[in-house]
Amino acid sequence: MNAGLRAQVLVGGAIIAAVALVGIYLAAGGSSYTPEKSQDPCQHRAWSDPEGLSEIANQFSISALDGAACQLGVTREALARALASPEARERFSERYGIDDEKLARAVRAGLLRAIEDAEDAGALSPLIAGPLRGTVEKIPLDQAIELINNAESLLGGAESILGPASDLLEQSLP
Amino acid sequence: MSAEAPRPRVAALALAVGLVLADSSIVVLALPEIYRELDTSVAGVTWVLISFNLVMALAAVPAALVARRVGPGRAAAVGLAIFAGAGLACGVADQLSTLILARCVQALGGAAAVTAALELLPATVGSERRAAAVWATAGATGAALGPAVGGVLTELVSWQSIFLIQVPIALIAAVPILAVAKHEAATGVMQTELRRTGRPHLWANIALAMVSAAIAAALFLLVLLLIEGWRLTPIGAAIVVTAMPLAALLGSRLDPLVPSAKARAAAGAILISGGLGGLAYLPKAEVALTLPPQLLIGIGLALVLSALTETALGGRSPQAIHGGWTISARHAGVVIGLLALTPIFTADIADQRSDAINAGTAVILDSKVNPLLKIDLAQRIESQLEGEKGKVPTIGPAFEPLPSDPDERAAVEGLRDELQEQLNRGATHAFSPSFLLAAIIGLLALIPIGLARRMDL
Repeated sequence: MNAGLRAQVLVGGAIIAAVALVGIYLAAGGSSYTPEKSQDPCQHRAWSDPEGLSEIANQFSISALDGAACQLGVTREALARALASPEARERFSERYGIDDEKLARAVRAGLLRAIEDAEDAGALSPLIAGPLRGTVEKIPLDQAIELINNAESLLGGAESILGPASDLLEQSLP
Repeated sequence: MSAEAPRPRVAALALAVGLVLADSSIVVLALPEIYRELDTSVAGVTWVLISFNLVMALAAVPAALVARRVGPGRAAAVGLAIFAGAGLACGVADQLSTLILARCVQALGGAAAVTAALELLPATVGSERRAAAVWATAGATGAALGPAVGGVLTELVSWQSIFLIQVPIALIAAVPILAVAKHEAATGVMQTELRRTGRPHLWANIALAMVSAAIAAALFLLVLLLIEGWRLTPIGAAIVVTAMPLAALLGSRLDPLVPSAKARAAAGAILISGGLGGLAYLPKAEVALTLPPQLLIGIGLALVLSALTETALGGRSPQAIHGGWTISARHAGVVIGLLALTPIFTADIADQRSDAINAGTAVILDSKVNPLLKIDLAQRIESQLEGEKGKVPTIGPAFEPLPSDPDERAAVEGLRDELQEQLNRGATHAFSPSFLLAAIIGLLALIPIGLARRMDL
């Protein structure tokens, strides 16, 4: 092989190797190997068939987080981490410039959306949804957060909030 | 010049060149450690690398001129002494600003030593061509071994040891050169040997700068991805990035087979860009997947650096000045590459970190684990993130201790792995735009390579 041909083979080989490597990596999913994007919290999330109080409480919490995050213009995930502890809440408030009053309004709005979603999904009867709405509209921020974090206490052990209506609540749950 | 004991002198000169040129990359694997220990930012720690390369770029040609004026023996000996002293200062630095300042002084001494070595070598080895070959090989070997040696020293001893170990090595290299310096002092021989300096090979040096920018990006970004993104130890990362110099050895065997410097330079630039393109589109966070791109980059760098250095030095005299231009071009390229890419990947790391953490939190929220356990996990993840502000976090500790109930334990382990996967995705993707930009810079080097009329000697 003469020198000119060897030069052409070298350059041609380099092009083939470079294109092949990038092509193979792209075909193997190289362009989509990214973290999954957060879902828009303002979009309603369909409730899967809830089975039992624990699962309803889980979906209720997620709806409430979505509703509150939508109102605040943040992701559901950032809000969930913020509500995990008072220190995290403080850092969240500083970062996004959200005071307790604004947060309280958003959390209550989130709980109201969760009640509506639960009603739409057939997981909560309208008879119970009404008093629940009345309750969450008035509760202070810390209790509202507690309800998101532990919706089971609202839906299952609602005696303290609903009094005599708790029996109806128990009956309305599947 | 004294012709006594040429072998120790060749070894000393080669050692000096290898040591100084290793220094432009030796700290790469120590940067994450320096970043943590000196409590700085990614952009800040990059200056440990940039400062050295910037001063080398600016000082190489003036240092070569000074070496020709005062005598290369004296310039090399003084340069090595400055390099050693500044290395000691780097090793004891407890602040980033002190470290960066010492690195600048180290580069000044290094520039004097490297360019003076190229002036001394022809008389020592017998010809300018042979001298250029020894000089280029010593430099390439130093630059190739630098990251691995730095990684091993960082993990086994400390990042400071990288600098401290250079002090005795530089002084050992200076000993045989002192004889030349004494001879010069006695005869003043170099004063009579000054010649007119020809113009540097513009296109070869521009191409050198561009491929050096791409290579620096490849090495620097890959190390950061391995250590900061994928959490490898410095030794682990050193072993992984050794694939590049090993591939370079393979690439250097192609040199004699293809006499055309233009073809070798073009093929090298294409291979480097292809390798960087591969790193930009890694389909998974797996070390093995970095090997094919490193193979291409290693072979490419051996081809392109030798072809362009040969062209820049070939037939040009004096060698020290033209060697100075190549050093200047290569280090300027490294600086430009780091300055252009650092802000891009710093911003991308922050964005991707946030996306990855949100994706991981979503996995936990949507999981079937007990809601109270979810809150507990969210709380622990939040405090883990707070402790590792701005960095890709180590998420494992947030899931410790694992629940004792086997079902719950399996569920939590699944969540931990899923969150880690999201972080891996985020860390890997954060480097993609920078690797891609570096690939484009490498491809753009084909323009000056194509424009160079007198490449094939």
